[in-house]
Amino acid sequence: MRTGAVNTNFEVFDMVSTSGISPLDEAREELLREASIEAQASGREKAQEESGPARSLLVFFLGVEGFAVDLAHVRKVLRPARIARVSGAAPEVLGLMNCEGEVLCVLDLRRILSPGKETGPPAATEGKFVVVLRHGGKEAGILVDTVRDATEHPASSIHPVLDSIDPSRARLFEGTVACGGQFVGLLSPSACLNP
Amino acid sequence: MTTGSVDLLVVDDGEALRGYDCRDVVRVEEVAGEAGGYLVRLGRLGSPRDVACREVLGSVALSAREIRPVPEVLRERVTGEAPWAVGLTEREIYLLY
Repeated sequence: MRTGAVNTNFEVFDMVSTSGISPLDEAREELLREASIEAQASGREKAQEESGPARSLLVFFLGVEGFAVDLAHVRKVLRPARIARVSGAAPEVLGLMNCEGEVLCVLDLRRILSPGKETGPPAATEGKFVVVLRHGGKEAGILVDTVRDATEHPASSIHPVLDSIDPSRARLFEGTVACGGQFVGLLSPSACLNP
Repeated sequence: MTTGSVDLLVVDDGEALRGYDCRDVVRVEEVAGEAGGYLVRLGRLGSPRDVACREVLGSVALSAREIRPVPEVLRERVTGEAPWAVGLTEREIYLLY
């Protein structure tokens, strides 16, 4: 027993002296390395399954109500210049604006969202922003109160439009997304630009 | 390089500044009565028509580079007579009819 114990000690001593760590530690480290690689691969697959491609969204507000639009369809955001009214235009048309040497049609998002409330005066533009949208060869600005930021959202964070929303309004949205602790409507640029 | 230009009679219809090709203007009449305003008779170049406006502001010459197409988003949302182009200068936007 003593000899064996001594032998064992010698064996261990020998192995430690050559590799610097015990075979058990080596085996454990190898296992941990493999587990880590597996976990990373599995995590990547899981993340891809859950999220799909991320979308960059511009978040803005009309009053306290938040909205988002895919940044891929936002050409620019600017302060409104003088907007020339157009007689005979639909109520949601605020008018035409000189946008850095180009003619830009500016739409009132409030009136697009609430087509029934068309009798009020046109929206004041002071202190607001124009978000210039482009989709399917069409371009227009929409007047919004404030612009918050652009953030990335995984596809899994975009939920379908609530069933409780009126269908005429629901057609303007691609979905609902949680942004900064509140749900905002993800606008469909196509629906906003097409009457 | 384009050197063409068009002379426009500019009127205020109460909402927007409208521009009409001066060559098409037959005459301008002041409308009597409480409502007032002016009546612009057109038809020297095309079919005769009368346009009522609040004020006649004068004329302006626009170069070809100051004349832009009507944005599609607007064209789809205009009922009645639609402008055929937009005049864009540094100071004003004119709707060309």
